[in-house]
Amino acid sequence: MYRINTLQNNERMSTQDLLQAINAAIEAGESDFSIEASGQHDIGGPLWHPEGKKLRFTVTNPGQRVGCMCLENTEIIVEGPASADVGWLNAGGKIVVKGDGGDTSAHCAASGKIYIGGRVGTRSGSLMKYDPLYSAPEFWVLKNCGSFSFEFMSGGTAVICGYDSKEFASVVGDRSCVGMVGGKLYFRGDGHGLSTKDVKVSALGQDDIEYLSNGMTEFLADIGRPELMAELTCWDEWRKVVPWTYEERPKKASADILSYRKTEWVPGGIFGDVCDDDWQVMGLVATGKYRQRVPFWENMKYMAPCEFNCTASIPSQQRFNLLREGKVDEAYRLVLEYTPFPGSVCGAVCMNLCMDECTRSQVDISAQIGRLGTYSADVQIPTVAEKTGKKVAVIGGGPAGLSAAWQMARDGHEVTVYEAHEAMGGKMEQVIPRSRLPHETLEMELARIEKMGVRFITNYPVDKAKFAAIRHENDAVVVASGGHVTKIIPWPGHERIVKGLDFLKAVNRGETVKVGKRVIVIGCGNSGMDAAVGAYQMGAEQVVCIDVQRPAAFQKEIDHVQELGGELIWPVFTKEITEAGIITQTGELIKGDMVIITIGESPDLSFLPAGIELDRGCLKPAADWSVAEGIFTAGDTTKPGRLVDAIGMGRQAALAVSAYLTGTQYIGEQKNKIPATRLKTAYFKKCHSCDLPSAKEEYNRCISCGTCRDCHMCMKSCPENAISRIASKEAGGFEYVVDAGKCIGCGICAGICPSGIWAMYNNAEAINMYKIV
Amino acid sequence: METVKTQDVTFNDLAWKIKYTPDRCTMCGSCVAACTFNAIEARIERRSITVSTGHQPEPNQRHIAVPVIRQKNSVANACVGCGMCEKVCPNNAIQPIRNEDSRLNVVGRAGGNPLKRGGRTNLNAERVLDKIIVGRISQMTDPSLDSERHTFDVLAPFGRVLLPQELPFSVENGEIKMQGWVPPVHWIYPLIFSDMSIGALSTRAWEALSLATAYLNEKHKMPVRMCSGEGGMPVKLMESEYLKYSIIQIASGHFGWNRIVRALPKMKVDPAGILIKIGQGAKPGDGGLLPAAKVAEHIQAIRGVPKADLLSPPNHQGLYSIEESVQKMFMSMNAAFKFRVPVAIKCAASATSVSVYNNLLRDPYKICGGFFIDGIQGGTGAANEVSLDHTGHPVVSKLRDCYQSAVKQGSPGRIPLWAGSGVGMTGNAAADAFKMICLGANGVFMGKLLIQLMGCVGNEKGRCNACNTGFCPTGICTQDPRLVKRLDIDRAAQNIVEYMLAFDAEFKKLMAPVGNSSLPVGRSDALVTNDRAVADKLSITYAC
Repeated sequence: MYRINTLQNNERMSTQDLLQAINAAIEAGESDFSIEASGQHDIGGPLWHPEGKKLRFTVTNPGQRVGCMCLENTEIIVEGPASADVGWLNAGGKIVVKGDGGDTSAHCAASGKIYIGGRVGTRSGSLMKYDPLYSAPEFWVLKNCGSFSFEFMSGGTAVICGYDSKEFASVVGDRSCVGMVGGKLYFRGDGHGLSTKDVKVSALGQDDIEYLSNGMTEFLADIGRPELMAELTCWDEWRKVVPWTYEERPKKASADILSYRKTEWVPGGIFGDVCDDDWQVMGLVATGKYRQRVPFWENMKYMAPCEFNCTASIPSQQRFNLLREGKVDEAYRLVLEYTPFPGSVCGAVCMNLCMDECTRSQVDISAQIGRLGTYSADVQIPTVAEKTGKKVAVIGGGPAGLSAAWQMARDGHEVTVYEAHEAMGGKMEQVIPRSRLPHETLEMELARIEKMGVRFITNYPVDKAKFAAIRHENDAVVVASGGHVTKIIPWPGHERIVKGLDFLKAVNRGETVKVGKRVIVIGCGNSGMDAAVGAYQMGAEQVVCIDVQRPAAFQKEIDHVQELGGELIWPVFTKEITEAGIITQTGELIKGDMVIITIGESPDLSFLPAGIELDRGCLKPAADWSVAEGIFTAGDTTKPGRLVDAIGMGRQAALAVSAYLTGTQYIGEQKNKIPATRLKTAYFKKCHSCDLPSAKEEYNRCISCGTCRDCHMCMKSCPENAISRIASKEAGGFEYVVDAGKCIGCGICAGICPSGIWAMYNNAEAINMYKIV
Repeated sequence: METVKTQDVTFNDLAWKIKYTPDRCTMCGSCVAACTFNAIEARIERRSITVSTGHQPEPNQRHIAVPVIRQKNSVANACVGCGMCEKVCPNNAIQPIRNEDSRLNVVGRAGGNPLKRGGRTNLNAERVLDKIIVGRISQMTDPSLDSERHTFDVLAPFGRVLLPQELPFSVENGEIKMQGWVPPVHWIYPLIFSDMSIGALSTRAWEALSLATAYLNEKHKMPVRMCSGEGGMPVKLMESEYLKYSIIQIASGHFGWNRIVRALPKMKVDPAGILIKIGQGAKPGDGGLLPAAKVAEHIQAIRGVPKADLLSPPNHQGLYSIEESVQKMFMSMNAAFKFRVPVAIKCAASATSVSVYNNLLRDPYKICGGFFIDGIQGGTGAANEVSLDHTGHPVVSKLRDCYQSAVKQGSPGRIPLWAGSGVGMTGNAAADAFKMICLGANGVFMGKLLIQLMGCVGNEKGRCNACNTGFCPTGICTQDPRLVKRLDIDRAAQNIVEYMLAFDAEFKKLMAPVGNSSLPVGRSDALVTNDRAVADKLSITYAC
């Protein structure tokens, strides 16, 4: 037994001196120490005997960290209490404190045994660990712990026996086991304040009782209190504490709004009085009434540009669709609902406004709509069996009058056309050169009108008296006598001017008209070109055509004149007409020995009864084309126009007459052109002009603007298979419909439809969620 | 060939461009169906080329018409970058890309109307708070605290705080007694869910906030309070016990106050407080703005208004001075709730904020229970962009000025200072709150981050910010039932609750190192900055 008394002659050994003295004694072979300490730190470790003998220390009055870093084969017995950090970092030694331990007893102990025969202070047992290479640390306390005990404990076993601790709220102190992740804690008595987020508390199991029974005997013996055995081994007074395992620990904060809202929150929600909420949560993509947008199949809601621009409103896209379907006869007949002159006008002399804005022209060149008319020139349609018994007279057998007559006859009226000329046809017959309008075509189409039941009376100029009689004999009269009075501007020398209409009529009659060598034509419309060509035919050497503006004639007609050697000059403003030609307002002389004028014609309406108002020589019909009770008008009597204008007006006037005769309301035409952005031309491959098919095969090039071409693109492209094609009474016999239950409102149908039939609208279906109360 | 003219607006003029990878697209239509702004559409593209595959030129035309998704070329349908298309695309084929060369500011005013939007300032989004760090950490000096285990008092006063000598104590029979009226003070969590109105937010979003507030109080003992915003209170909330977590706002339009007044006799509990809104940091000097698109039936009912653009005047019509405000508005609000409910006032930060605060400090009736300063980085549901980007005042220095003025007068904390705008802009509200409190705030208020937690994708770099349009793709800032139903109220509230739990932990992670158990109000010694100007202006330590 090696004794050290640290107080000699009132001199206290420093910690350093004491520890060095111990080290020297061990080096010298000592292994059993009795130390009367006086507060020296770190007594007992880390030490080992050179020959491996067991080291034994009996200590009184130690300072902090007695037994710190203690190695196995070391035993320390403290008679009485110890200060803080008993067994700090204990690595295998046995430390017995017979009195109280201080704060942070067994702090970071990783092996060995620490027995305390009294109480321990705050943070005791904190950060205890278990190194799997060695035995686990044990920490036994007879009484209780201060607060924050076993913080961050991660291994080993702690036993708090709770003896003599009734006065404390908790034998493990307040907020014990915070951050504990491993090891075991046994305690006897009240364990109030344990960190339940870190640990779970349970009764002892058989293993626990076995461990405690075995350990208790040694512990009590070592601290010298064997008599307490019975008191401390009532196992139902004990509890076991282990940390939640990593797997058991919640990875998220505890919060469950859903069940809170359902069980505790204001029933029906705080907006329940003004808002019916089913709490359903919709995804970003929804169907049915939760779609943001809804597609609509708007077949024929809009006119194709051809139909819109045609003043006779011929829906050529429908003709091409019929051709595409193989319904050739129907296609050729359809046009006859709009005009009796598809061959003479559409296919021959019409300027074909239909082709001006043909959507196809954005791809390459317009569909050959005009030429399509020629296929309908000799098509026959059955006469109308059901007659109305109403009689209608038409004054004037030109395009307007015949158009009206054709439509009225098809409506079942008895129609008579009175024509002043010897042949029907008006300007088509009398003025337009046969080279432009093949006479046999015209005759064919006139015959078709007659066949429909229209009575033609030619050589029948109408005067006031005849008109009165006609009006009297008929239920209605359509005045379509056209414009046959050539306009002449009273320039000085205007008496020299030859009226273009008279000139052309004479040419068309086959007469030989004497012309000059140099002919000047005033007015570069188609009539002007006709006059120029006529002049060449009659022997003119040079024709000069002048106009105040860009020539309005078709390029084809201009080309014809120029090929013949003709010259077009504009702008030219005439000042005077002399023997030498025309003197312009700038004083130049345009040489010519004959001047023909073709700047338009005005009507001769002298046969009409008094009281019908004229405006600058023309009739001003009301919205229903009437100019007096039962008297209607159409064509050049209202203003000079093109043949197609006359045909369109004739048809409208006929509709108005039928409405008048049947006592119904005539509703004027509403024309809406399809917005170009709805049409998708990207489908169509550019076609070289040399690859153009014949007009009757143009259905492949026709976009079918605004009218469904039944291509199935929408159906096949719909990502949800929501579109189907069903039979229907709609025009065409089919329609495309959407299954709202499948449709997500993506608008692919609208985006890819070549013809612009589909359109997306905001979903108008109400979701009755909010209310005004 | 389509004719495009130089002045035509095309998508490269817009703020966001749609980047689309046709190879990855299956034309499922999800992106178009999801887009609330109608900014994209399906179209057909022509892919016609002439190729030669022979050993010599052998022209071979290939024509294919391909369906694609395309951005619309119009300001009215401009993409706002919300990214819902990207979110729903199964193939990662589409996404909005910010257009650096956007001309939207140039072409967007066509029609003669000012640009309007929601969100925060995009021009003054630079943050002083990020130049400040918590630099005084207890390292062997003060006993440092352990944020996990220490007990912290994370509480701030809402209400007028009296000095000890002002308290009506008397001694009777040797016992101290308090007699007479003491201004009500609630000690609440130092972060208020700030005022977003029931017009601005959808019913679900507003209720999610209420739910989160109640949950934090009842399940996590965090006394968080939520301010109603101007525009009324749900009647059923006012008749419930949860009213105690609500701060009711009154602003210049007094919208919704008829139903609030009528609910008074039915209130089982007092509200947490009243906030008089004078101004708003996002659009100071301009009144509230609720576009007609958002005035749904229930808004019309609660506010007593028809469907129309609802503009609040910039000023309270009946108030002409600070003194009058105290006498009239503070008095009326205190009186209405029988002097049991604290009443505070909120102003936009301004060059004049300190004068206002000084005046309030002289309040002779002790009924002024808080001064809320809202800086330029505050958010809004709708404002003119010129107001958002070009008016306002940074809040940090103004908060500091007010605090230091109170200190100079020996009365810090008597009228609690609450500061807001941009709190949580970077996503870490705890750091922002902590720094503001160290600079003198008793607490902070925050709105934008809350809706971001619910799912709002808007930010300060021009993303979305379409709160004013009614087309909010997340169902938060809209009254369109179709869109409101997109919002999962429970997940929205859950996200807020979880964020606040993290906030609380993070806040304590800052309190512990500086060694404060209670809020470090005015502990500017805890802060350092590496910006000399900021150090000088805020009187904090410069460090580098």
